[in-house]
Amino acid sequence: MTYIGTSLPISSGTPKASGSLAYTGDMKLDRMLHAKLLLSPHPHAKIKSIDTAKAAAVPGVIAIFSHENTPATYYNSALWIAEQDFVPDERLFSPVVRFVGDRVAAVVAADEATAEHAAALIEVDYEELPAVFDIEEAFAARNVSRDPETLPIYENPISDMTVEYGNTDEAFARAHLVVEDRVKTPKTHHCAIENHVCLAVAERDGSITVHTPCQSVFAVKFIVAKALSLPDDRIRVIKAPTGGSFGGKSEPVLEPLCAFFSRVTKRPVMLQLDRYGSIVSTRTRNAAVGRVKTAFDKDGKILARDIQAIGDAGAYRSGGNMVVGAMARRLGRLYKIGNQRFRGWSVYTNTPIGGAYRGYGSSQIHAITEINLEHAARRLGMDPVELRLKNLVEPFDDDPAGGPSVGNARIIECVKEGAEAFDWKNKRNRPRGDGRRKRGVGMSCATHGNGHFGAYPENAAATLSLRDDGGLHLVSPLHDLGCGTVTIMRQIVAEAVGASPEMVAVPEADTGTCAFDPGSRASRVTYIVGECAQEASLMLKAKILEVAALAFNSSPDDLTLKDNQIRSNYGGDRRMSLRELAGFARQRSPEDISVTHHFKPRANPGSYAACFVEVEVDTLTGLTRVMDVLAVHDIGQPINLTLAEGQVHGGIHMGIGYALLEDLDIDPDTGQTKGNSLSRYQVLNAPEMPRVQVLFVESKETTGPYGGKALGEVATVPMAPAIVNAVNHALGTELTELPLTPERVVAGLVEQDELDQA
Amino acid sequence: MKLDLNINGEDLEVDVSGSELLSDVLRSKLDLTGVKEGCREGECGACTVLMDDMAVNSCLVLAIQATGRRIVTVEGLAQQDALDKIQEAFVEHGAIQCGYCSPGMIMAAKALLLREPRPTRHAIRDALAGNLCRCTGYLNIIKAIEAALLPPRDREERL
Ligand code: FES
Ligand code: FES
Repeated sequence: MTYIGTSLPISSGTPKASGSLAYTGDMKLDRMLHAKLLLSPHPHAKIKSIDTAKAAAVPGVIAIFSHENTPATYYNSALWIAEQDFVPDERLFSPVVRFVGDRVAAVVAADEATAEHAAALIEVDYEELPAVFDIEEAFAARNVSRDPETLPIYENPISDMTVEYGNTDEAFARAHLVVEDRVKTPKTHHCAIENHVCLAVAERDGSITVHTPCQSVFAVKFIVAKALSLPDDRIRVIKAPTGGSFGGKSEPVLEPLCAFFSRVTKRPVMLQLDRYGSIVSTRTRNAAVGRVKTAFDKDGKILARDIQAIGDAGAYRSGGNMVVGAMARRLGRLYKIGNQRFRGWSVYTNTPIGGAYRGYGSSQIHAITEINLEHAARRLGMDPVELRLKNLVEPFDDDPAGGPSVGNARIIECVKEGAEAFDWKNKRNRPRGDGRRKRGVGMSCATHGNGHFGAYPENAAATLSLRDDGGLHLVSPLHDLGCGTVTIMRQIVAEAVGASPEMVAVPEADTGTCAFDPGSRASRVTYIVGECAQEASLMLKAKILEVAALAFNSSPDDLTLKDNQIRSNYGGDRRMSLRELAGFARQRSPEDISVTHHFKPRANPGSYAACFVEVEVDTLTGLTRVMDVLAVHDIGQPINLTLAEGQVHGGIHMGIGYALLEDLDIDPDTGQTKGNSLSRYQVLNAPEMPRVQVLFVESKETTGPYGGKALGEVATVPMAPAIVNAVNHALGTELTELPLTPERVVAGLVEQDELDQA
Repeated sequence: MKLDLNINGEDLEVDVSGSELLSDVLRSKLDLTGVKEGCREGECGACTVLMDDMAVNSCLVLAIQATGRRIVTVEGLAQQDALDKIQEAFVEHGAIQCGYCSPGMIMAAKALLLREPRPTRHAIRDALAGNLCRCTGYLNIIKAIEAALLPPRDREERL
């Protein structure tokens, strides 16, 4: 292969490095206004009155919005297909605020400073209502809130699902050992360095164009249309360059507001949040509490597992129930478990809203189950690697819960190669130190899906054309979030057609020009859109050769297209460039050289990862430092090696945060988010990053483009449990509440001391 | 008030208010939007520029404090459209994903190079301590800086 598996530099590299790329917040339009939001200081309150007189008097203020003068149409920001029947419970501005950070009002003004100043002058009279912040309390509390109009009703649980197969109770009854844990995972912020931002432009014909660094232009279009009660075709959404997302910009949050402000003021409106707004008022990772019981036979084979989990949807339901569903979908896809029961609920709390987050559901469920496995290994007196090797799935196993086959699942190789490269046995059995600092090693496995197939509708569409200048033009609704999606598509098209990547233009999504597609979500892009692009490319190549056959006066089968040139397989000097061919086709061919391809996948294999880490814990301060990480992945054929390594590096970075540092940390008394700025929400910096080694096992997923499958999400999933396991190995503790802050580690050590003395 | 500023080698007269931040002036008044913002409190480094060859967070500097200093933003690095070798190395070595931290990172690296032509890996990591990246885990950024600054034999193989 010429381009697949190489390290082609990211396509947008030069404009990003030179500072010339215009992200949404860098755009400037004539007569553009700026909007600022006023956010709720209370976790649950009825708005009795809003006095905007002082704000309105500020020179430069154009308009002020609140629940009093905006549509009362309810929507659910998690949908991505028109008419998807998700329960709507959110509106532009609610008369009842449900968390600290909920939207109260907005000021639109000539400039940002004026809007911000005026927003602070709005006077709101609140009637405070009881609030609930803790997941388990919320689960017990049932009724949480209600709008005055009584619609909708915010009542717990939002969802209640059971997945069961085999005979779990019977298997538990014959178990040699049952290991039980309660694991808590935190509410976290994506922390894309670009804050949330949107630019909406009211066009002269009454339509609205929305520029947004989103993950799905169609989701934005459907939700804006719904919130504003406009026909879909009045909204055009253009994907803007994205300064990081990780799921955070997956659901439309600012777009409906910004579009409405623009529609009313009839001017372009920019709405950009500051970091506080991005952390508290957009989306977060659903916190979770899981209780897991696993039954083993005496050889360490898993006989059965029983899990109960509650996910925290936050103040609006969004896709809270889907996150719990995603947790359930992983159950039978990592280990061979013949009997299993999962019961999961999603609940409202008066805290920031949950949504999509890299490793959707997988991060939570793997934390719950992989920490549990470490404890099981300890009690079985087995090495955690050995225990996993006894139970891991094999290629093309069926999903016992009824999902699609696991595909060419090479997790066993990941674990074997990883253990060897990490020198696992020696490191695991090394003394942990008897001084103040203790060392430990831990590992974890993980799986994540490749698209929606098996759970939700899935499709991709691409139009690929040969341009008159000999370049190729791929029109498919792509959203490059910074991972290099555009680059990967260029590699796939170039490889399949026989052109060079710089000849392939890949514009990003625009509802004005693209057919529907779900967007950058569910780890679907490389595997599904990539496969669609590969098939379209092969079809286009066949078309090119058919036309070339006219020019060469031969059969298409006797021609080769390589390096942008066509030549005969039987020698001869004749070369025809793609540009010449395009010109020839324009004049002589009955058809244009263009194909439109619609693709529906029929598989959803797992991507797999095994992660090995070494930590050092300071037993005096409770501070944990990750020293060394080895991550081994089965992603089939990596399309771009450097980009793939970069995904793993970033996934490790985020996973370390999840294990040790990151937490919105909601105050249990006031509902305030304590981790509400970058000085209070800790993100690992360069000196704190451990040594890292990244490996990919030899593997091909036959249903993916050139054997490739997804990486971005699975890359972060095993990190947190591996670190927790390493800390517990170092200390002999069984800590299960993430993140392992110094306070929690010290508390765990104190508890352990007391137990030892008792 | 009118300020005399030296930005990217050019002397400019800019109209600002006394409390205006350098980052705001660069972005809004001079259209130097390569200067990014992620926090406005000195935590993320996206707004890093050079002030007399030192890396500073322009969101923590008042525009008036920049008078009489040489300010260089990422836009001032490329010479006649040819990228600086640090910029080139960033593109080449996977140091750029979403790119939002890149201008700040590149300026932090530039400052390091100006004060220390042969930094150790440790010094490189420390020089980036004030710049957050959420995409790359920093490793390819460190690699890129080493590639730009050091001859191949001085680069460490393992990240
Ligand atoms: S914007 Fe200046 S340091 Fe974050
Ligand atoms: S490349 Fe995205 S924040 Fe650094």
